[in-house]
Amino acid sequence: MRDAVIAVRAWVIDTFAASLAYVVASFLTFAVLMPLQNMYFPEYPSRASLLFLPHGVRVLSAWLLGWRAIFALLPGVFIVFAYLGGTDVFLSSRLLAIAIAVTTVPAVFYLLKAVGWDLFPRPDRKPCWVCIMGVGVITSFLVSGLTNLAFGSETVEYIAFLIGDISGLFFLMLGLYFAFRLADRRTG
Amino acid sequence: MTEISKLTELRKLMQSMERTLGLEKLSSVERDIYYAAEELSKSDQEVRTFGLIEHTLVQSVSRPTFFRALKSLVEKGYLSQSGSANRGRYIVNAPR
Repeated sequence: MRDAVIAVRAWVIDTFAASLAYVVASFLTFAVLMPLQNMYFPEYPSRASLLFLPHGVRVLSAWLLGWRAIFALLPGVFIVFAYLGGTDVFLSSRLLAIAIAVTTVPAVFYLLKAVGWDLFPRPDRKPCWVCIMGVGVITSFLVSGLTNLAFGSETVEYIAFLIGDISGLFFLMLGLYFAFRLADRRTG
Repeated sequence: MTEISKLTELRKLMQSMERTLGLEKLSSVERDIYYAAEELSKSDQEVRTFGLIEHTLVQSVSRPTFFRALKSLVEKGYLSQSGSANRGRYIVNAPR
């Protein structure tokens, strides 16, 4: 009974943390970075962000939580889609895009594990951040391609998604690194 | 994996990034010993030198290099000698 309570508590914490991270990253992307992008690159035709931080949240959540990331991210991804699209969130294309957003990255991690390249964290080894970036690039291609199929977007959007995802993952990791350093300095 | 372990794994990921980007403050051996100590300190508050030497991350490091790095970690405040009588025990501190 006690184990079940601990397991449920861990699920709740994972879901809250992953979804909150996704919502915060999306807010930063759409409310801060996008206006800056429009200010400095007004001639850029796409409406996609060139620094899409939520992709980083997707990749790191899937790396840490495995298949549980699907359920942990679902509330956050749904909230962001609902915020951006209103009631259109229930259109089949949007629901398909939500499913693609939450399932692609864990699927790629498990696929790589199945072919002998297990990147999931383990206490007895050092993680490979370049490999995680690699997964980020692969999944960006997949998510962009599949999402564009769902939405029927143009090629320029596809390229913008790729740039945004890859730069978003890198800068999210860099941001986390400096956040840890800052936290260490405060507690030290 | 516990919440603390997830945070540790995330920190380890950031530290591998730190090393590649040249942002680190510790040598690679110091970093490996610190990772190992962090790992071992989860099961026991104090970390024993013997346990550290046996850890997977540190096994390939020569004894002199290991003890030099251990001393450096104590000087930098990452590890501190345990207050108990046994000198081969260390307490893991948060990085500064």
